[in-house]
Amino acid sequence: MNQFAHFMTQVLVAVVQVFAVAVGGPLLLGLMRKVRSRLEGRVGAPIHQPLLDVRKLFAKQRMRPRESSWVFGAAPVVLVATVVAVAAVSPLATTHPPLGQSSDFFAVVFVLLLGSVVLALGALDTGTAFGGMGSSRSMTIGALCEPALLVAILAMAISARTSNLPALVRVGLAHPAVIASPARILALSSFLVVILAESGRLPVDNPSTHLELTMIHEAMVLEYSGADLGLIIVGESMRLVFLLGLLVNLLVPWGVAERPGVLFFCVGLFALLAKVAVAGVMIAIFEVFTAKMRLFRLPELLAGGFVLALLGAVTAVVAR
Amino acid sequence: MLAFILLLVPLVTGCVAAAVGWRRWVGWLCTASLGFVLVTGVVLATRVVHRPALSEFSGALRVDALSAFMVIVIGAIGLLAVCQSVRYLEHEISSGHSSTRRATLYAVLVQGFITTMLLAVVAGNVGVMWVAVEATTIITTFLVGYRRTRGALEASWKYVIICSVGIALAFLGTVLVYLAALHASHGAHASLEWTSLMSVAHHLDPGVMRLALALLVLGYGTKVGLAPMHSWLPDAHSQAPAPVSALMSGVLLTVAFYVLLRFKAIADGALGVGFSRTLFVTAGLLSLAVAASLLLSQRDYKRMLAYHSVEHMGLIALGAAAGTPLAIAAVLLHVLGHGLAKAVLFLAAGEILLVEGTTEIDQVKALLARRPALGGVFAFGLVALLGLPPFSLFISELNMLRAEVHVGLGWVAAVSLVLMAVIFGSVMSHGRHMLFGARPDGEPVHKSPSLVTVPLIGALVGCGAIGVLAWPLDSLLRAAAMVVVK
Amino acid sequence: MNSATYLSFLEIAAGLVILCAIVTLWRRSLRAIVRALAVQGMALGVVALVLGLHHHDDVLIVVGCLVVGAKGFFIPTLVKRVLANEPMSRETSPLVNVPASLVGAGALTFLAYGATRPVVALVSTSAGRLIPLGFATLLIGFFSMVVRRKAASQIVGLLLVDNGIALVAFLATAGVPLLVELGASLDVLLVVVVLRVLAVQLWSKFAVLDLDELQELHD
Repeated sequence: MNQFAHFMTQVLVAVVQVFAVAVGGPLLLGLMRKVRSRLEGRVGAPIHQPLLDVRKLFAKQRMRPRESSWVFGAAPVVLVATVVAVAAVSPLATTHPPLGQSSDFFAVVFVLLLGSVVLALGALDTGTAFGGMGSSRSMTIGALCEPALLVAILAMAISARTSNLPALVRVGLAHPAVIASPARILALSSFLVVILAESGRLPVDNPSTHLELTMIHEAMVLEYSGADLGLIIVGESMRLVFLLGLLVNLLVPWGVAERPGVLFFCVGLFALLAKVAVAGVMIAIFEVFTAKMRLFRLPELLAGGFVLALLGAVTAVVAR
Repeated sequence: MLAFILLLVPLVTGCVAAAVGWRRWVGWLCTASLGFVLVTGVVLATRVVHRPALSEFSGALRVDALSAFMVIVIGAIGLLAVCQSVRYLEHEISSGHSSTRRATLYAVLVQGFITTMLLAVVAGNVGVMWVAVEATTIITTFLVGYRRTRGALEASWKYVIICSVGIALAFLGTVLVYLAALHASHGAHASLEWTSLMSVAHHLDPGVMRLALALLVLGYGTKVGLAPMHSWLPDAHSQAPAPVSALMSGVLLTVAFYVLLRFKAIADGALGVGFSRTLFVTAGLLSLAVAASLLLSQRDYKRMLAYHSVEHMGLIALGAAAGTPLAIAAVLLHVLGHGLAKAVLFLAAGEILLVEGTTEIDQVKALLARRPALGGVFAFGLVALLGLPPFSLFISELNMLRAEVHVGLGWVAAVSLVLMAVIFGSVMSHGRHMLFGARPDGEPVHKSPSLVTVPLIGALVGCGAIGVLAWPLDSLLRAAAMVVVK
Repeated sequence: MNSATYLSFLEIAAGLVILCAIVTLWRRSLRAIVRALAVQGMALGVVALVLGLHHHDDVLIVVGCLVVGAKGFFIPTLVKRVLANEPMSRETSPLVNVPASLVGAGALTFLAYGATRPVVALVSTSAGRLIPLGFATLLIGFFSMVVRRKAASQIVGLLLVDNGIALVAFLATAGVPLLVELGASLDVLLVVVVLRVLAVQLWSKFAVLDLDELQELHD
């Protein structure tokens, strides 16, 4: 009985975390757009506008290119599925998520990257010029991000002696000095660069552009419509929220539920949402003052991210 | 008090020059101060040659046989160069290339240059030696760029950048030696005094000392002009005014080498001779190879002389690698002989540049026929520098090679002989081009001012006398070698 | 100061030193590079201050204050004056492009870690473990001197080398004897002044800023 109750709580935790990420994603997009509008002197759409957009898209007819195969249709589903899977097992609102032992940092992040790959495949599947261009650019960025990400995780794992995500968050709670260590700071800054690049934010990609020469992410999803597009928007925004959630929990873990209990969990959930919102606002403010980088300069940025991570790893080894 | 006065005299002379501005008598005063340095060097040598080292200001200044020998080298070559500076500056002023103000600057800087070199060799503290060597870099930068042509500024830029980095590495090496000494003396009073470092040499951590010696060889090696850190040397030596080139090539390189010898003694105590031997052999052979390859197709006679310095520094490094008392004594004799011969050659080259107006080997012809005195000095200088008897370089090169064979570096001696033969051939062919030939019809035989030729001939005679007699220096060289060989 | 805060302060300051070294490779704008240099100088001073406070070493505290003043403010100002000549103060075409040099910097960091193992083993204090960072800064400075073509960038590279050495000196021996320390700092200061004079002369007489234009002397 006790075991069953435990199992049910775990399921409930997973469901709530996934739900929070799913709703929080579009809301975060709305929030960031709102901040941007306000800073630019416009009123802007209400924060829940992306949610309304998504609802509208789900009601619309789904159009698929005639030559496309099942990959085109599967891509959005896989994208959302990957985020749902990792959101369920990650220490977002609590440090004891379901299947916590298997929530390894490497595994989580690379399951997440599966979403980008599938999306690129879906874009290639249409056979259009834009799709191919977008995929190739996005894969270039992905390929540059990956080493940085690997080494950044390695750096954090060395100093905490584990790559288990809940354990990493718990180490931060137990020993705040670990967070202030150069290894963790460098690794997290590199992680932030990767997040910005992977989720197509400025200065890597302009999320609101439709100019052929510059767009990366938008070029990939150009052929999608209706519910497919809705899924992609939800999936992408969930990914952003999830990654930011991880980042803030590794950077400022306070508030995350350390003990079981409904109250602790709710506090953890609200803390998470608040921290992610703050992070989102900060990114939005940063984006107002930043221009998009030229595509050819991107390797510089990402190589910088890589070196930051590498330095983090070296300092972690040195300071051990 | 003598070592302190030794430092004070050139410094005060420099201050006088700064105060009254350039006059002819100021030039002679500067020359006199260098004469004083030479005499003091001899006096110091007689005091310390059979007796323990002089120590002043509780060890801050320390003169042993090696230091005294280096003071003599600085004094002798400095005397030659400073006395030629008078002629150089007067010519520059009268031809309008330079003003009295800049001549004053030149005189002050040269005195400062001499003072810092003297400080480097009489300092008892390896940290102070470092500061002094670095100070020479800063001072000579302005002397290299004295003519303010594009080439001169380019040369001084390269010089200061490369040497500063090198000397920074030497500082790191010094810091590591200090670290090793701190741990060897278990936190008790540790210092950078050379004597105290020598006394704990056997307890210094070998790992750290290996890194430190590598950094020191790289760092001071840059100042010595050892390949592959030699690239500043041909530029700086060819662009600087001739007396400055003479000072830099004749003394400055070997002052840096002197510091290296001191550190080698410490490192050998900690590591045995094997490691330093590897480093010195590598640097030495590399320098010889670089000099040989670049001398073959050299078109500029000042650069030719500069690369020749790289060669001789390589030879000295190989001699130091052998490391026996005989080898070190030969190294020191070579330091003096090379310094004199190279100074003579640079000064003669400066005179050739003044009268011929070019540094191209192709443009200078039939010197012996057209300018017998100047051409003769240049020719004998080359003979001395190439290591032919009766000049002292012959003896020192021979002894270094003997020492190398003796310690089992026979292959090194063989390789260096081959490279020396290549250098011999190329320098001979360049020299033949410049010196021999018939005087064009209608051109009179030019006389060179005796102010120029007499000191140079004197220096060459000295170089030859040391080679033949070896008498006054013999015991000093042996005592100096024993300072750094245990 | 308890030992945990002491250590984390030290780690952060030392980390900042090498981070600034990376930034000088990362950025192209020379102004940003000089700013990074100033931050690095201050971080270096903080290292000395923290060490001085921890060991109750008054001399080191004074040295730390001097370092902050000299390397954090005075030297960067001097370098900035060199930039005043350059209308387009950007490092447009380094010999090695930026991503490759960043990766190179990473490799150098590992090299530094390997090369300093005997030193770290000998020092065996918690501060001593950070010595590789100083070495890495030095190597990065070297690297940037080799691949950068602007006069100002080379000065910055030289200063990086010097700051790296100073970091090693502070961490390994808590500073060499004061006399040598002062002599060393003064020398660096003078070198920068000399370089500035030369840069100004090169610019005002021959309009040379790019060292590629210095091609007169060669074999």
